Amino acid sequence: MSPRRWWMKLGHAGLMLLTAVYCLFPIYFMLVQSLKTPEEDVFGNPFIVTNPTLENFEELFERKGEVRGFVGDALRRSYPFLDWLANTLFVFAGSVAATLVASVAAGYALGRLRPPGFRWWRRVIFATYVVPQTILFIPLFQVMHVLALDDSLLALLLVYPSMALPFCVWMLSGYFEHLPREIEEAALIEGASRAGAFFRIVLPMSRPVLVAAGIFTLGTIASDFMIASVFLLSPQNQTITAGLGTFDVALDELAAVAGVNLLAIPVVTISAVFARGFVRGLTASMVEGS
Amino acid sequence: MGRARDVRLAYLLLAPALLMLSTALAYPVGWEVWTSFTDLSPLKDGATAYVGLANYSRLLSDAAFWQAAFVTVGYAVVTSVAKLALGLGFALLLVRPFRGRVLVFLAVFLPWAYPAGVSVIGWYWTLNPPTTTAYAPFMGHLKYVVDGTLGTGAWAFTSVILFNIWRGSSFIGVLLLAGINAIPPELFECAVLESKSPWRRFWLVTVPLLKPFLALAVFLSLTSAFADLANVWMLTAGRIVFPVIGTHAYFLAIKAGQFGPASALSLTVVPVLLGVLLVLFRLFDPLRREAT
Repeated sequence: MSPRRWWMKLGHAGLMLLTAVYCLFPIYFMLVQSLKTPEEDVFGNPFIVTNPTLENFEELFERKGEVRGFVGDALRRSYPFLDWLANTLFVFAGSVAATLVASVAAGYALGRLRPPGFRWWRRVIFATYVVPQTILFIPLFQVMHVLALDDSLLALLLVYPSMALPFCVWMLSGYFEHLPREIEEAALIEGASRAGAFFRIVLPMSRPVLVAAGIFTLGTIASDFMIASVFLLSPQNQTITAGLGTFDVALDELAAVAGVNLLAIPVVTISAVFARGFVRGLTASMVEGS
Repeated sequence: MGRARDVRLAYLLLAPALLMLSTALAYPVGWEVWTSFTDLSPLKDGATAYVGLANYSRLLSDAAFWQAAFVTVGYAVVTSVAKLALGLGFALLLVRPFRGRVLVFLAVFLPWAYPAGVSVIGWYWTLNPPTTTAYAPFMGHLKYVVDGTLGTGAWAFTSVILFNIWRGSSFIGVLLLAGINAIPPELFECAVLESKSPWRRFWLVTVPLLKPFLALAVFLSLTSAFADLANVWMLTAGRIVFPVIGTHAYFLAIKAGQFGPASALSLTVVPVLLGVLLVLFRLFDPLRREAT
């Protein structure tokens, strides 16, 4: 190997290492903190954990009434973490499902059935991204009140899909538009109904794009902090995000970081499993058949 | 006949998406627009008066508005440029196969996949730790150095920028990687024959072919920055020394109870983003191919 190539290789490896450290360090740091005992948190090296413990995680699941003990004069509350976990699962799964169903339907309508002005429909739906969420929760609260959904998880199920729908509809309609028509027509000629052709042929083919839309939705709703904390008030109705926002940092820093990781682990695992499908789906939605 | 049925079916299939969007947006946006023309306030007795454009004209002569607008634009531009540069770098690094590529790809993907609603909490406590932790002295020192050099609140604002870039560059990297994968490899092979300089090839081949993806990335990055309230809020714990339009409007509405001016303020970003979107639509809207 010539020295020049050798240097190129070394530079490449160095860049890779730098990229990985830059991306993973914050995640690693949070993981390390959550595994620490209080003693090590105060006196130990912040970058490593010598006596890993799961006590911070266990602490989250303890429920012994409201009062958990005192630190000096300060009252330590206990948190209904199991409820939060169940609520989060319900809201995330429900929102992803609702978003996928609605955006597949809309994407098929715009990309394949093409009602008059379908291009403008698509553009208008995408353009809803320009609306800033800033103080929108004030009127949104009125809407939820009229629907009797204040302090209810269903409120999030209504709001979350609207955050991911524009991108998903745009992606899916682009994909359906470029899918060769012959695929569907062959099935229709053989006597399948429109719905039959869709569910048996088009939908299975679209798997990568569905994966991409699903992962995008998950990432988008998992990034919300505002909506969850504004709409969910009573502790037993909160999601992990909203609940962690009410933690007292000074007293429960380690438990809170453990809570962050407890939400992150399932979300990250799902995303990592589908990560390559995510890229493939994004590619497919923009170029397939063009 | 068949066409009419298709159109009816199309509207039927569109209905759920439109219904969801309008529940979450139609009334709230209408309320916001209407409120921006009134002096609606929960603190005020008596009827709400229509004040016309007064809220808007007062904004234009308000120094605090211009400061917030200036900071917002700066925040959006700085984070977008950094995210695009980093994201493009990630995508170009990952496009050719090498040993361990899957692992590096996963590393690039994780900052975005890591749930930001809670990672922002983790970031906040990492950068502004409780005083008892082992790294608190170091972080506190860093904070004083940054605040001392650039003014109070600079460290908090820097942490917002860092968080936004960390998470956004991950998404843009993955998006651009998908974009590069969409380019037929023959085009790159031709380009190698045309020009020896990788730098020239990058500007003459890669960038033009990636244009739709770059435009999409710019738009998503700008909207997230302009609308950013939660991150600024969390990472600065409500202390707005560097106000952006989002936090400024939030304060006006929640702390000061001035719904009218707050609505006007948060609506000021809409024309800006709409203008950007109209320009970028030409680049990334897939319909342009058969539209003309």
